[in-house]
Amino acid sequence: MNKIRVVARIDVKNEFAIKGIHLEGLRKVGNPNTMARNYYNNGIDEIVFMDAVAAYYDRNSLRELIQEACTDVFIPITVGGGIRTIDDIKNALNSGADKVAINTKAVQDPNFIMQSAKIFGSQCIISSIEAKKIGENKWEVYTDNGREPTGKDVVEWAQHVEELGAGEIMLTSIDREGTKKGFDINLYQSVIHSVSIPIIASGGMGKSSDAVKLIKHVNVDAIAIASVLHYKIESIKEIKNTLLESQIKVRI
Amino acid sequence: MKIAIVDYDIGNVRSILSAFENQGANVFLTSDKDEILKSDGLVLPGVGAFSHGMENLKSYDLVDAIKEYAISDRPFMGICLGMQLLFEESEEFGETKGLGLILGKVVKLPTKDSQNEKLPHVSWNELNSNKAPWENTILTDIEEGSDMYFVHSFIAQPRDSDNILSTTEYSSHHFCSSVKKDNIYGCQFHPEKSGPTGLKIINNFIRMCQT
Amino acid sequence: MSKELEAYYGLPSKVKFCKKCVISNQRPSSTIEFKNEKGEKKKVINFNEDGVCSACVYHDEKETGIDWEDRDVKLRSLLDQFRSNDGSYDVIVPGSGGKDSAFTAHILKYKYGMNPLTVTWAPHLYTDIGWKNMQEWMHTGGLDNILYTPNGILHQEMTKNAFHNLLHPFQPFIVGQRIIGPAMAKKFGVKLVMYGENQAEYGNSIEENTNPIMNMDFFSSDDVLSMKFGGVSMQEYIDTGKYTKDDFAPYIAPDKQDLVDNGIEVHYLGYYLKWDPQECYYYSVDNTGFQANPVRTEGTYSKYSSIDDKIDPFHYLTTLIKFGIGRCTYDAAQEVRNDKITREEASYLVEKYDAEFPDIYFKDFLEYIDTTEDEFWKVIDKHRSPHIWKKVDGEWILRHTVSNTGADD
Repeated sequence: MNKIRVVARIDVKNEFAIKGIHLEGLRKVGNPNTMARNYYNNGIDEIVFMDAVAAYYDRNSLRELIQEACTDVFIPITVGGGIRTIDDIKNALNSGADKVAINTKAVQDPNFIMQSAKIFGSQCIISSIEAKKIGENKWEVYTDNGREPTGKDVVEWAQHVEELGAGEIMLTSIDREGTKKGFDINLYQSVIHSVSIPIIASGGMGKSSDAVKLIKHVNVDAIAIASVLHYKIESIKEIKNTLLESQIKVRI
Repeated sequence: MKIAIVDYDIGNVRSILSAFENQGANVFLTSDKDEILKSDGLVLPGVGAFSHGMENLKSYDLVDAIKEYAISDRPFMGICLGMQLLFEESEEFGETKGLGLILGKVVKLPTKDSQNEKLPHVSWNELNSNKAPWENTILTDIEEGSDMYFVHSFIAQPRDSDNILSTTEYSSHHFCSSVKKDNIYGCQFHPEKSGPTGLKIINNFIRMCQT
Repeated sequence: MSKELEAYYGLPSKVKFCKKCVISNQRPSSTIEFKNEKGEKKKVINFNEDGVCSACVYHDEKETGIDWEDRDVKLRSLLDQFRSNDGSYDVIVPGSGGKDSAFTAHILKYKYGMNPLTVTWAPHLYTDIGWKNMQEWMHTGGLDNILYTPNGILHQEMTKNAFHNLLHPFQPFIVGQRIIGPAMAKKFGVKLVMYGENQAEYGNSIEENTNPIMNMDFFSSDDVLSMKFGGVSMQEYIDTGKYTKDDFAPYIAPDKQDLVDNGIEVHYLGYYLKWDPQECYYYSVDNTGFQANPVRTEGTYSKYSSIDDKIDPFHYLTTLIKFGIGRCTYDAAQEVRNDKITREEASYLVEKYDAEFPDIYFKDFLEYIDTTEDEFWKVIDKHRSPHIWKKVDGEWILRHTVSNTGADD
């Protein structure tokens, strides 16, 4: 039986891991490599490194970080934030990343997803979607780390990126992100029926029961968690045990 | 003792290098025929399209060298696309010919219901044994039901079921997740991305190269 | 022989940027706003001989030179003096429910056991997020509030005058905002008023920081009729026949002696606690239901600062025009000092966002101050000091920027 993946999301600014709320704020929470290694050793299934300030500075600078990470972290590593060109993807993959997450550039130029998927394969290309609730069962796509509204509907955009060749979608609720108030279940419910590629739910987990609640309602393929780990609210073992006790299959 | 990893400009090889180095192997990347033939172990990595993989192997002029190495009885491991290339052909984008080292072909992973079982198959999933025991293979001392990391949309179907080393279930379908034919191994999953258990498999392979 | 360029407002003629943060030497210090009149010479932030601004100097001192445990002891003993034991309010916390006042009021109540009454001088025009945060402050933060909204007709006229005469549309607002704390204290019989941060955080004279008590001159006056709003004195407004002294009740600063006699003290919490605006954001999200702006605030990169008033962006637009520094400079300078971003990153952000025109509420602003777009630009351009702005091919360009990309750099 395939398992739900529990993914650690580490937002990075220069040499620090940071954690914001609603994708705002740069509070330092540790060293990203130390944290990645720690989570790997404690049974996390995957790591996502997001450059939290790539949008500000029109750069992306995670190369050294990934190079170091993949010398002792032997699980899939995704890198996102400021991926704007084919070369950016090439550099990321050559540095040791398995997948890249793309948001802003894809919204500006959807063809970029198609191009990247063709060259590197869909399995390498994650479409990162930042969703802000704007009405009853309606969410708007944002770019630039939750700063710029686009006027696009999240469900429509999700369908579009699948058509373009994205291999997975990492769907982040800006409203819940960093709040530890639980996942925006309606968001994932709205999207899941419109796409057939894997969905990683991101944003809002404060305790294991949040994950159980989400997974029992919606067939997401993975959950990306941050605050609950970075602030040491629960351990990976505790989270996975709770999931198993609720008959949710995860890798032990 | 040197293990060669085929460099044919496809996929992320840095992780494989790191994993092998982590397990103490003397490992190097190469697209040189002679280096391949001289090595004590060979790894064929790869992600992406079958046809692209074969095209690159041809343009790097490595097909013959790999075939020659394969019949030399030294350990050989194909990973993910690398495993698929071991077979005769693939139905992806029409029919493309593979290396033909193991009889069988590569087909799309059948899924019943696109809602609950999506493609690509991206997840951790269990290895189940087939007829042959895992002792003295790359799966030595690996626990039955261990989770490995998969990311693929196609699978290999060996004609001879004796070649099936492990199966894995997805979408109510049991597909071949690893193969063994004499000295040739293939892993549909990524051992270099499968945590400590994956490293153990790599370690098993390295030990075989040492003997 | 280069011609020396005229510097308006008595600003320093040579533009310099702090070596540590990104603020320039043109930044004005806080003034007694109701004395603010046209053509007044501005007192500005001080730069030491190493080219470092006083806000950075103060920040370094904050890090190493202050015994915060001792300050906490001082805070507790101060609060002990004023804490009520009969359920009555014992501290007035002025604020809008933004991150700073949300933090201040909540921590005084829930950590230090005080009984605060928060008082809000209403924004000119509430933004949706501003209103929501204000309500959450009460409903989620568990606090009491009085929202004081001054007569809109008068306030609008004063704001219009302030824009046209001083290019400082917020001037009347600031007068009211500063007065409301002590005024409410007097009304409710509360002796202690607690603001959040001290303006020295941002570059007022450092000596002000050794004093926890706000300078009384900011909010009290001996001669009420001479108080100026938008450069026009109260007497002049009354003389038009449209208003009487009654209309100015919200703005009449309490009598100084009166305050002294009533034992009213105005303190800064920032004197007693090590202040970090970004941490106030995190605290207020966790405790008072605060939400950041859903989109990037115009003129800057951030989402958590000053988001409750539609007129707010125009305050920063006018600082850009008069002093060459916009909202992003203020935000970035603060974050550099608090070690959130580097000076290089700050410079990059300033270059990217400082001059962004606040489009979203432009129409609302013009309507509020009853001014046409043409008139607006005429007033704006009149206030561009020649030593800061240069007209190049019909466009106004800054002569100097922190990234050295100005017309004269």
